[in-house]
Amino acid sequence: MLLTGEAPLGPARLSLTLRAEEATSKDVGRLEWDPADRDLRRTPLSIREAWVRVPLASGLDVTLGRQTLGWGKTDGYSPADGFLPRDLGNPSADEKLPVWGMRAQGTAGAFRADAFWAVTTTPWRLPILEGRNAPLPVPSAFLVDGAQRPPRDGFGAVRLLASFGNWDVGLWGRAGVRPAPLLVFRLDSVTPVPDGFEIPVDRRFAREQGLGGEVSRVVGGFVVRAELAALFSKDPELGDAILWTLGAERAFGDGTLLVTFAANARPVRVPKALLLDRAFLPGLIAAWTRTEDWGSWRLVWTQALEHGDGLARAEAGWNLTDVWRLTPGLELLYGSSSGPFGARKKGSRATLDVRRSW
Amino acid sequence: MRVLAVLLLASTALLADDGRQILKDAEARHRSRTQEYEGVLTVTSKDGKVRRKSWKSYREGYAGDARQLIRFTDPPEVRGVGFLSVGKKGKSPDQWLYLPSMKRERRIAAQDREASFVGTDFSYEDLDELDESAFEISVEPSETEGGQDCHVLELRPKERSQYERKRVFVRKSDLYVARVDSYRKGQKEPFKRFLALDIATVEGHVAARRLEMRDLGKGSTTVVLLEKLSFDKAQPADRFTLQNLNREGGD
Repeated sequence: MLLTGEAPLGPARLSLTLRAEEATSKDVGRLEWDPADRDLRRTPLSIREAWVRVPLASGLDVTLGRQTLGWGKTDGYSPADGFLPRDLGNPSADEKLPVWGMRAQGTAGAFRADAFWAVTTTPWRLPILEGRNAPLPVPSAFLVDGAQRPPRDGFGAVRLLASFGNWDVGLWGRAGVRPAPLLVFRLDSVTPVPDGFEIPVDRRFAREQGLGGEVSRVVGGFVVRAELAALFSKDPELGDAILWTLGAERAFGDGTLLVTFAANARPVRVPKALLLDRAFLPGLIAAWTRTEDWGSWRLVWTQALEHGDGLARAEAGWNLTDVWRLTPGLELLYGSSSGPFGARKKGSRATLDVRRSW
Repeated sequence: MRVLAVLLLASTALLADDGRQILKDAEARHRSRTQEYEGVLTVTSKDGKVRRKSWKSYREGYAGDARQLIRFTDPPEVRGVGFLSVGKKGKSPDQWLYLPSMKRERRIAAQDREASFVGTDFSYEDLDELDESAFEISVEPSETEGGQDCHVLELRPKERSQYERKRVFVRKSDLYVARVDSYRKGQKEPFKRFLALDIATVEGHVAARRLEMRDLGKGSTTVVLLEKLSFDKAQPADRFTLQNLNREGGD
């Protein structure tokens, strides 16, 4: 359950969203004080967002607190969003996790500037490493979650955007802790269990610097977009990357079809599956969303091209009334078990989301 | 014969000029510096299913130089969704939609402009302010609308549009646009009908306090009741910017 309240405070604006959850699985942890969501399991009562936005001058705002950002300009893959933590444990959405920090946003004419400083690292939230989420090709070997100690500091990022007629351009830079963990398989701590043995997997976090640019243009009925990002890390496992994307978006009636091709031009030093957001590259993402009289539906197909595996997601949301919504969904993992999606074929799932908003 | 052709051409040009002048006069008479209101929307589908929404609307400028911001306030599913339109005289405006769930704005491309605007019977194009310089205009015989004698103008868009033509009914008494029928290519019957109703004088400006958009193809109707309608209030300097569109919880 999410409980959101927003209120003006003079010229400022306050927002607080609290989250309460319970699960029959082990995805939810114990009740504890973890305001930055840094533990392996999320506590049943947590702060989703808590921010205050203060206008300093016309066209210049500062937002302090826990807030959700979205820098990527596409529903597909965007390197500009790479510094944001994601929640892969949420069956209903591939949602971005909010981050504690300070954000300054300014606008002048055709230009917009955005700077963000994350005071601490909020790591990616991964599904529990066991069973179908983390299969091993070795019989009787099981992965279990080890330690996760994200660094105390976070990252800094700046972005400059401009619109000129049908053109939108952007530049960004960032430095600090990458929120996606690197997995450390602790073969030195293998523990025998009745039906085999367990291998603990620790999570560590590398530092990374990045520079990127994006350009998009309206061409007839299409919005065509290209992004390029150069990422640098001294961490021997993470290494450098040159990510690029090329995409097109087009509306069909009340629907939008988005197709994005994404790739990494640099070699990867570790098994790709361990790099999470870069695991499926080179890849193709197609997303089709459409609004209907009864609600909306969405199809997302992510195809990893190296091993031919992929993920197909479908969901349809029925607006039963103005406040009740029913959303069945399906996630289908398929293809070669050598690829990041195919390796988790047993992780395919069906979901049913019932939501009441007021 | 040649004389007749010249006379025909001249009269056609004269009628076009008359039509354009009517719209220019209407624009001059009703131009306001700003306008804002709280809209209460009722979307009724063909089978009678009713959905309610509400938004706040702000406009600065008028017709071709208008800048408009719409922010949904209800129901929770669409609360915070924002729409920004920046007019370009004689051309289609630049438009963006902000979706709180995505935390970013999306540019509305030309092809998108025929899509439904957040589940209403308005398309993005239907939200454009009427800008005479964006159309070829001709005059048709007068008709009555809402009991009022009206000029009837046929407008053909110069730029890409989902509509081949529009028939605009302008009340002769006050040059207020009371009805717009929009036709898709090759259609003899209108695809959509816009009605301005409950017309009164508010703060010195003639204004409709009830707007109806009928999708005659689908059989659905969206009614907007304009509450707290106000004109010529100063707007914050950055209200009609992309930064403001992206402000969560903002107007």
